[in-house]
Amino acid sequence: MSTEDTREEELKGVGCSRKRKEDPRFIQGKGNYVDDVKLPGMLVGKVVRSPYAHAKIVSINKEAALALPGVHAVLTAEDLKPLGLHWMPTLAGDVCAVLADEKVSFQYQEVAFVIADNRYIAVDGADLVEVEYEELPVVVDPHHAMDADAAIVRDDLVGKDEAGQGSRKHNNHIFNWDVGDKDATDRAFESAEVTVKQKMINHRVHASPLETCGCVASFDKVKGDMTVYMTSQAPHIVRTVITLLSGIPESKVRVIAPDIGGGFGNKVGIYPGYVCAIVASIVLGRPVKWIEDRIENLSTTAFARDYHMEGELAADKDGKIKALRVNVLADHGAFNTHAQPTKWPAGLFSICTGSYDIPVAYANVDGVFTNKAPGGVSYRCSFRVTEAVYVVERMIDVLAQKIGMDPAEIRMKNFIQPEQFPYQSALGWEYDSGNYPAALKKVMEAVDYEGLRKEQAEKKARGEIMGIGLCTFTEIVGAGPSKACDILGVGMFDSAEIRIHPTGSAIARMGTISQGQGHETTYAQIIATELGLSSDDIQIEEGDTDTAPYGLGTYGSRTTPVGGAATVKAARKIREKARKIAAHLLEVSENDLEWDVDQFRVVGSPDQAKSMKEIAWAAYNNVPDGMEMGLEAVDYYDPPNFTFPFGAYLAVVDIDKFTGVTTIRRFYALDDCGTRINPMIIEGQVHGGLNEGYAVAMGQELPYDTEGNLLGNTFMDYFWPTMVETPKWELDYTVTPSPHHPMGAKGVAESPHVGSIPCFSNAINDAFMQFGAEKHIDMPHNAFRVWKTLQEMGLNKD
Amino acid sequence: MKVDIDKVFPIDGPSSNAWTFLQDIPGVAGCMPGAEITEKVDDSNYVGKVKVKVGPATMAFNGKIELQNIDAEKREMTMQGKGQDTKGSSSATMDLTASVRETANGKCEVVGVATITVTGKMASLGGRMMNSVADQILNQFGANFVNNVLAMGEGEVAKEAAVKAAEQPKELNGLAFAWGLIVTFFKNLFGGKK
Repeated sequence: MSTEDTREEELKGVGCSRKRKEDPRFIQGKGNYVDDVKLPGMLVGKVVRSPYAHAKIVSINKEAALALPGVHAVLTAEDLKPLGLHWMPTLAGDVCAVLADEKVSFQYQEVAFVIADNRYIAVDGADLVEVEYEELPVVVDPHHAMDADAAIVRDDLVGKDEAGQGSRKHNNHIFNWDVGDKDATDRAFESAEVTVKQKMINHRVHASPLETCGCVASFDKVKGDMTVYMTSQAPHIVRTVITLLSGIPESKVRVIAPDIGGGFGNKVGIYPGYVCAIVASIVLGRPVKWIEDRIENLSTTAFARDYHMEGELAADKDGKIKALRVNVLADHGAFNTHAQPTKWPAGLFSICTGSYDIPVAYANVDGVFTNKAPGGVSYRCSFRVTEAVYVVERMIDVLAQKIGMDPAEIRMKNFIQPEQFPYQSALGWEYDSGNYPAALKKVMEAVDYEGLRKEQAEKKARGEIMGIGLCTFTEIVGAGPSKACDILGVGMFDSAEIRIHPTGSAIARMGTISQGQGHETTYAQIIATELGLSSDDIQIEEGDTDTAPYGLGTYGSRTTPVGGAATVKAARKIREKARKIAAHLLEVSENDLEWDVDQFRVVGSPDQAKSMKEIAWAAYNNVPDGMEMGLEAVDYYDPPNFTFPFGAYLAVVDIDKFTGVTTIRRFYALDDCGTRINPMIIEGQVHGGLNEGYAVAMGQELPYDTEGNLLGNTFMDYFWPTMVETPKWELDYTVTPSPHHPMGAKGVAESPHVGSIPCFSNAINDAFMQFGAEKHIDMPHNAFRVWKTLQEMGLNKD
Repeated sequence: MKVDIDKVFPIDGPSSNAWTFLQDIPGVAGCMPGAEITEKVDDSNYVGKVKVKVGPATMAFNGKIELQNIDAEKREMTMQGKGQDTKGSSSATMDLTASVRETANGKCEVVGVATITVTGKMASLGGRMMNSVADQILNQFGANFVNNVLAMGEGEVAKEAAVKAAEQPKELNGLAFAWGLIVTFFKNLFGGKK
């Protein structure tokens, strides 16, 4: 090994499977989560929630609760009204009740907030708040939300022809959004040799992170400062919202997102509990903590999906796709509390042409209000990529079945080819880079695809049920270019600020916030490679709005594409200054210097060099004339485009025809996320995403009955795969760097979630298709539902 | 969530007694374990309460009963009971049509068709037990009802029934109740009635 390689290795930079810097504190129970925050004089709040999905509030009687020793206050909408805080704006242009104002519109809606000495008293106090309701008819099925006689979910919007996202046509209508060339698509369908049409549901689920949502709000009456510790994936935008709501200057609001136990989008939104805790702290002059319990988390904060889709493909008889058409009915619940870029009510759903070269396409989405919990943020949901990938990946299998073609062959036939990049999609995206055929080919060879199909046929002959599922997805992450993406008018850039200390160690702060992704580890690796300093000596801090530069946070796999790029750019600014200092120290021209792992050396005279550590020291005592001291830089990176990671997944399932139990025999996941920063962390991310995808496809569901009661909001019902259920994951990768990202990285965390769900669903559908199943089988594919299909098809006989 | 229940309780006595008793709302309500009428608003509106105790949990429901229709000719009455637990976390509504039919040899039967709608915590947490719970409550109700009608007759049977009717549990008995659920569960499991 050359000394250059050794020096590079010592940096533990990009490409190194460096152990996670966060883990020693987590595995020793030394993490610092919001619920660990205990401030002197702190009180605890508990939300009183509605038992009804839709009811008028006749009266609220606080007396009994207030009489309980230890209860300090009970807040209702009436108390928040004078402050103008009984309603709050949502990130999607709608408004949301903080505490129910005259009526409740979903079960478990926030009705009152009891503040007490501790959690026990607060819970007892909440039980004593007497609320008299008068039940109203409910809207549960989104397909009937726009019926002429449907109950009105939102009285506050009656008579308004828009709800923040364009015109609407019914009291329960939120928006209509379409994209693509409708006429050209219709014409392609009219003249097509083959067309297929299929309805499918991306059912309502919840990300259910291990840590629920919560905050500690602490208002300093003397200084007029507000500090909020919060489980937030976007602390800076939360600070802006707090200022807009409360009128406290942004400079006096400090939001701190400490360690976070999983986000997955569940911690993007601003919830009534946060607002109540903040108001209570201002009113009482004491810190107030609010932490959700598990039922509250599953019932109220940021569900995912509830997309009712109808996909259509037009093709020639050889399977070459000519057009795609998708119609969607989106159930947003009682308030539109999505968190997508302002311009896109259905997020990035228009990625639904997937990895395929489809000449024309048209997508049309209607959003409706129902008497269900609002949200639709988690699990990549506001951006709607999971739904988009699901519809196209299921439809291509439906088409394959119709024309009797193998699902792998039809994919190969329709892939965007490597030489077509940058590729302009029919629905307006410019895909940055990809090599789809190579990825699928690698997977097929690794698993012996031909052999699996042969085995499947043999098993079928014996009456055994085996399914093979494929998914060759394209993701769209890294939101995003500010010309296209903003949240509340703030562009979706991100930031990094790096400061090199005199002895060559460094601190860097970013506008993103880790929820378990390992930012402290990977950001340091990027800086290590860019600046030639060991990642062990680079401290990463995020989540404190008083110290970190403004950024839009971490969700939608945007940290590496946006925050990572900002980090590279900031490091390169430092390196440029370092080059000038090195030239000054070596008494040569800047142009005579070249960068070499951890030093600048003179071209053609490699012994003459100055290491980054030496340069750092000089930056504080010996800089060229006219240069300011110090070695630091900040960068706000506005990406020129999204990044488009992709992958090829394959699942092999065996179904027990008597019990309906599905065994995932193999799951082979090949991901291409461009340049790989820390392969071990990537594998961890992929494992996590696959587990989630498995959970969603095979069991998770938030079911509502016809009265709007949520029937699955405890872990008794809600499926959470543990090591007992989780199959073994086989991982692979290719590397196709992003041409526009400064280091070619694309982001990975969401790919496995997005890609695995249709893969499981395709496997189950494939298993039944070979026995003549004619209709698509919806998720979740739990044993009971699979058994019902077996029963319907008469397959569970000997 | 909605549960539909049809029940038939055969009574070894004349239908006229059964019909008379069926129109006695406080009496009928009293057959519901743990329930009582606390106030008569008018001839067709009553206020009452039900207390359910299962294990350590007690749920007290305050509610209203509205007698919606009495058809003397068909010996059929429809009523709606609506209640909310005092903590405001659950509510239940029961729409009941009850009628008396004569059967052979001067005997009769009471036929009840009920739709029970439950919302709130009880639906979310107890949803999967609702059918069995409602079934058990109505079985206890039916037994009490039959005893009350028999007590209106004469002879040993009537005396015995009167004693049983007087002794009926004042509260929905959690333990007996839980046992009932277990029995029902196993009966269903081993191919008993669905």
